[in-house]
This record gives sequence, C-alpha cells and structure tokens, in this order.
Amino acid sequence: MDPILYNKIISVGVYGSAIGLILIGLYAVLVKKHLTKIVIGLSIIDAGVHLLFIAVGFIKGGTAPIFSEKGIELVNQGTAMVDPVPQALVLTAIVIGFGVTAVALSLVIRLYRHHHTARIDHIKSLKW
Amino acid sequence: MKRAFILLLLVVVGWVLADTFSQINFGESRMGDIKQQETVGAYYLNNTVEKLSVANVVTAIVVNYRGFDTLGEVTVLFLAASGLASILYRRKKRGEHDVMILKNSSQLLQTGAKLIFPAILVLGAYVFIHGHLTPGGGFQGGAIIASGFLLMFMAYKDYHVSHNVLTWVESVAGILFVSVGIWGLISGATFLENVLGTGTLNDLISGGVIPLIYIAVGFKVAAELTGVLETLLNFKTEK
Amino acid sequence: MVISPVHYIALPLLAAFLMPLLAKVNRELVRIIPGVVLTYLLFVSVVLMQRVTETGQPIIETLAGWQAPWGINLVFSQFTGFLVSLMVFMATLIWIFSYRFKKVDNEPALKYYILFMMLVTGSVGVVLTGDIFNMFVFMEITAIASYSLTSFYRDRDGAEAGFKYLLIGSLASTFMLLAILLLYTQVGTLNMAMIAERMHTVPVGMKVTILILFLTGLGIEAEMFPLNGWAPDAYSQAPSPVGATFAALVVKAGVYSLIRVIFTLFDIQGAYQYLIIMGIITLIIAEFAAMKQTNLKRMLAYSSIGQMGFVLIAFGIGTKEAVFGALFLMFNHAIIKSLLFMSGSFFVYNSTSKDIKGLSGIGKKFPYMGFLFSIGAFAIVGLPPFSGFWSKLYILIAAADESMLALVAIILLVSIVEIVYYFRVVAKLYFGKPTDKEVVHKPTFGGYFSMTVLAVVILLVGFYPDIITGFIHRAADTLLDKGAYISNVLSVGH
Repeated sequence: MDPILYNKIISVGVYGSAIGLILIGLYAVLVKKHLTKIVIGLSIIDAGVHLLFIAVGFIKGGTAPIFSEKGIELVNQGTAMVDPVPQALVLTAIVIGFGVTAVALSLVIRLYRHHHTARIDHIKSLKW
Repeated sequence: MKRAFILLLLVVVGWVLADTFSQINFGESRMGDIKQQETVGAYYLNNTVEKLSVANVVTAIVVNYRGFDTLGEVTVLFLAASGLASILYRRKKRGEHDVMILKNSSQLLQTGAKLIFPAILVLGAYVFIHGHLTPGGGFQGGAIIASGFLLMFMAYKDYHVSHNVLTWVESVAGILFVSVGIWGLISGATFLENVLGTGTLNDLISGGVIPLIYIAVGFKVAAELTGVLETLLNFKTEK
Repeated sequence: MVISPVHYIALPLLAAFLMPLLAKVNRELVRIIPGVVLTYLLFVSVVLMQRVTETGQPIIETLAGWQAPWGINLVFSQFTGFLVSLMVFMATLIWIFSYRFKKVDNEPALKYYILFMMLVTGSVGVVLTGDIFNMFVFMEITAIASYSLTSFYRDRDGAEAGFKYLLIGSLASTFMLLAILLLYTQVGTLNMAMIAERMHTVPVGMKVTILILFLTGLGIEAEMFPLNGWAPDAYSQAPSPVGATFAALVVKAGVYSLIRVIFTLFDIQGAYQYLIIMGIITLIIAEFAAMKQTNLKRMLAYSSIGQMGFVLIAFGIGTKEAVFGALFLMFNHAIIKSLLFMSGSFFVYNSTSKDIKGLSGIGKKFPYMGFLFSIGAFAIVGLPPFSGFWSKLYILIAAADESMLALVAIILLVSIVEIVYYFRVVAKLYFGKPTDKEVVHKPTFGGYFSMTVLAVVILLVGFYPDIITGFIHRAADTLLDKGAYISNVLSVGH
C-alpha cells in the first residue's frame, strides 16, 4: 500500500477514534438523564483526551522511553524514542480523573438515597 | 429542538477538534533536534541516564523532574478518599451491619479468588518496586493491588479490610513522601531533590530516592483505592 | 531550614497526612492543627513579603533540583506574593470562624478540616506555581475539595449542588487539559515563562483555539458568564465558612489563572476586549439576578459573581491604573464578602427560613451582628468611608482615562442596582417586625473575633487606603512586566 495513504489512514483512525470518544462522552453528558450514565460519559471524555495525549507523543517507529539493555541497544542503532512527557502527564491526568469519578459516584449514591431515583428529571430541588 | 441544538454543538466541537489536530501530524517528532535539547522531552531523554541512572524515563519525569505534580496527584487521591468518606458518611443504626455485596457468590469465584489473590498482590508489589526499571510504577502497582481486593470483595460477602490499617498505611506512606521532600530542603538543597547517590543504571537499587518514593506511592495508592472501593461498596443491612 | 515558598504546599500536605493518625490520639488536635499550620504560613508570608519588598526581585524556587524549563518552580513575586498573603490571611480568619462552628462540628470534623486545609493549599498552589500543568493539578485539588465541601451537609440539596458543580467543573478541566496538550505540541515545554517566550512562534489560528479552550476551562472557576451556573447553588448549600472560602480564595485563584494566561502566556490583543465584554455581561446579568433573589445566600452568591465581572472588566481595560483597581477590588471583595457570608449565615441560622423575609427585625435581636453586616453591605456597594469605595473609584477613573464612557455609565447604573438590593436587606434587618423565635444561637468567640477583625480592616483601609495601596501598586507593576517575569524565571541557575 502507498505509505503516504497508509499514514493518513492511521492518523485519521487514531485521532478520529479519540475525538469520537470525546464526542460520545459529551453526548452522554448532555442528553442522558440517568446520573450514572452522565458519570460514565465524563469518564469516556477523559479516556478520549488521554488517548489524544498518547497519540501526540508518539513518534513513527519509536520505541518506549526506557533505557533497559535492549533499549540502549536500539538507541545505539538509531531508533528514536517516543516523547516521554505526554506519557508522564497522562498518568497524572488519569489519577485525577479517577478521583473526580469516585467523588461523582459517591454524590450519585447520596442523591439516590435521598430521592430513591437517579434520574435527573426527577431530581430538581434546585434550579438546573 | 434541544436535541438538534446538542447535535449541532457536537458537530461544532468535533469539527474544531478535527481541524486542530489535523495540523498536528501523527507520528512526527515534535521534540526538535534531540541533541540540541530544544524541548523538555529531548532534555529528559538526553540527561536521565547520566544524571539520575534511571532506566525508565517516564518514571524519572513522574517522580523526579515533575515530582511536585506527583505529590499533588497523591493528594488528589487522598482528597477523593476523604471526600468520599465525608459525603457517604452515615451513622450506623441499631441492628445494622456492614456487608460488601448482598448475595453470596458462587463457589467457583470464591475458590478462584482465594487462589489468585496472593499472586495479584505479588504482581502489584513487583510492578511498583521495579517502577524505575520497567514499565509501571507506584500508581499502576497500587491499582493492581486494589484490584485484588476488589476481587475479594466480590467473592466474599463479609470480607472487610480494617479501616485502621488502611488509615495507617496511607498516612505513613504520605508522610514518607513529604518527608523525603523535606529531607532535600533540610540538607540544603531543594524540595524533593534526589539527595541519595544514584548507583548504576538498571540495578534494582539505583536512582536514589526515586524507588523509595515510588514504593511509598504504591502503598498509598493501594490503600486509598481499596478504601474507596470499601466505602462505595458498603451496604448497611439489618442482620 | 530557610523559609521559602515551598512551605506553603509542603507543610499543609504533611499536616493533612498526619491528621488521620493524630485523630486517634486526640480529636481536638484535628481542629487545632490547621490553625497552627495557617498561622505559621501567615508568618512565612510576612517574612517573604518583607524580603520581596526589600529586594524588589521575585523569589523563584526550583523544585527537585531542576532549574526553570526542566523542572517545576514556584514564583513568589510581589504580585503572587500579595495574592498568597491575602489568601492565607483570609484562610486563617475563616479557620478561627469555623473553629467549633456548630454545624460543622456535628458532622465528621476530621474530614471537614482536611478538606478545608486542602482547599487552601490548592488555591495557594495555583497562584504560586510557574508551571502550567502543575497549575492544572492544583486546580483539581481545589476543585475536588470544593465538590466534597459543597455537599458536606447531609441534606438533599447539598448533594445536588455538589453534583452540578462537579459536572461543570470536570468539563472545565477537560478543556484545560486539551489546551495544555495543544500548547505542549506547539512549544515543547510546560514552563509558563518559556511558553511566553516561545509564544510568537505559534501559528495564529492555533493560538486562538488554545486561548479559547483556556478561557472556557478557567472561566468556570472564575465565575465568568455563561459558565457560572454552579456558583449560586454551591454557595448557598455549602457550610458558611466554605462559602466565605469560595469567595475569598477559590474564585481568586480562578481569576488569577485567567489573568496569568491572558497577560503573560498569550500576546493576543483581542483577549482584553473579550474580558471587557464578558465582564459586562457577567456584571449585568448577575446583579439583576441578585436583585430577584429571595434567599440571602443566593443573593450574596450572585453579588459575588457580579463583583468578579467587575474585576474582569478592570483587567480587560489593561492599563496600569485599571489593573491596580482590579487587584484592589479583589482584595476588598475577599474581605467584604467573607464578612457578609459570616454574619449573614448567623442570621440565616437564627431565622425560620433561608429567605430574606425571615430576617425581619433580626438586627434588633443581634445589634452587633447587624452592625457588622451593615458595614459589609455599605462597603461592597462602595459608599465613601469604606474600603470598597476606593477600588470602585480607581476603576471608574481608569475607565474614564481610556474614554470608555459607556463603561462608566454601565458601572454606575449597576451600582444603583447593587445599592437597592443590599439596602433592602439592611432595611429588613432593622425596620422589619421581629419574629418571635425561641432558640437563639450565639456566635462563638472565634466567630466574633474574625468578623470584628474583618470589619476593622474594612474601616482601616477605608480611612487610610495608603497602608495597602503600596503593595497593590507594586503587584500591578509586577503583573504587567511580562519581560521581567520571563527573564527572572529563566535566569535562575544559569
């Protein structure tokens, strides 16, 4: 196959699926009425953003940024290493996303305890 | 009407994102000339081996170059656990007791869980002890250990992890992390500075305080995730 | 150990990790430790401010031994130092106020104090850090603490307000994360000074996209229209000390990050106009909404949003005088709004309902509290002998200097609205018919103390604005001197 076309397909596939995840999550957050589904939507958005991070740091033909004996050998042969910074950032972002999801789920449980439902259209004491 | 508006919004967001990322070529190096060290990524790749003797560059970034972020990250987890406990706090009524799940699980799950639970713990510990040499580290190892506890929660109705133990583990691990940082300050250098000798590359004991911090993080993450699971899964039922 | 800016972060964290253990020894320690830590930080602020004022140079602290672009650094300049000292001062007073605050103490006190201390640490960290991703991390610390504290009370509406806040807040963090990612792909660094230096190499279209993502993400914490839907609920459902903390610290951190991004990181002129326009819309909508509120805390929340709109306008004008006015207003807003929240919460606590109607004549029952609330109300609308007057005056003068007369007219018009709804409450306090309610909750000694201190500061700054203007002038100069920021940060260790 033509390498340029191949490259294009890969990049559309990677970026497209990441952006697609963001859009799916956004749709869930905006449209769904069930609180748990909204929380799931938030997690999907997070997943999409994290995928973008990794995709941006990738270098074609690059190896993992680890200087094990094999890694040093590869570098000496001229293989590039991928950018390590986005990987480090995404680790932080994942943990933060976990924290937010945990708090969100606990709030859903609280709301369910009070209202005996987790549907947003039945919970409207305050103005939304 | 509302739905059409939302769809329109999604199309706009998707279009803007697609347009933006089409300007960022996939698979292309953006680190500039690696030897010139124009970007931080290139600098880390060039200097980690020499200055820190840590094989895993991502670990070096997470724990040392950007160690302050990691301290914040650990704090986020700590906060999530505290916030969860405060949000879900409820006094136990008379005659109530805690169970993790309402139904007993099958014999198969119970035996299987008992069998692989120790193996999961060992794998988790391996992952965070070798965080500076191989892929993985404190967060990953901690998450693996917590998944082992999740398995036990699912298998056994009355399986509990003592809150006391969890509190001790997470507090001591957190104090250890901050103390390592302050150790740097006291010895006249900067906060979180690598004050120990770095050893040789690819040795288990190398990288100075980096493995030390990652082990503390591993314990802390494991304790906190288990605590979160315990709080979220906890039902109170009449005996 | 030399006193340095990292103490602001390290010591509260150490204390927070220690507190669960100390709670096993003695429960009283849990209440006292945050106060000890905050008092020490107040001392640190005094020492560092003195050092910065003497030398005129910012204190730049590298972390983990890596200098500016490679590692994370903390910048304690006359601008950030001023904000941090203000935050720590307010946090200490709020701690005194919430010490043995009745409603908080009935609930699990340990969690409250940990979350409160982390809220303070997060806000302070946002201001101190010199790294954009680190700022995001501190933002999230602040946010998670805020979500939990908003739904701290065990009633229904608390959880709902918390969830709403969380939903908007986590969307905001997604936007900010995307902005940071795009910025990193363009400049290859996360250090703010380095980003500012390389910003001219970024293509214009990309720059605008990144800026819009930042403005959306940060505008939520800064209560900018139309992203402030969370604020009234969060303010009215959170425990009152937390409401005061939101007004005094969290919003300040949000505004700071917005200003740092627009003033230092980017070099787009249009952003200033955008600030003015969004500020005007925020101001008008919030103030008119405040007039319609029947619930006292919601009214205070809308007024808080309005004040932030005011701050954004002043920053948007962008001249030295305007920035001075904006910083002065931030200072005033922190002090005055906290006083209003503290005294207002006692009225609400002692009345039958949360409504303003229920406050009828309560000022006669608590003459001193009524007096304090009135001082706050007069100060925030900008009556002459109080501190709020000066900030409003400086902003008006700055706007007039730039011959933005329409802006002056709008500000004056909105001030009338403000006067109407605050005076309605004050009138209700004194001239309403008192309801006879048996239970009377007296404020704690700490409550009296912190409110009195705030009132004294309002009067003192009102009569002698010179005691504070020196600091604010230097802070404004530091903020506007972008070149000095870049060279100071990047020259450390070279």
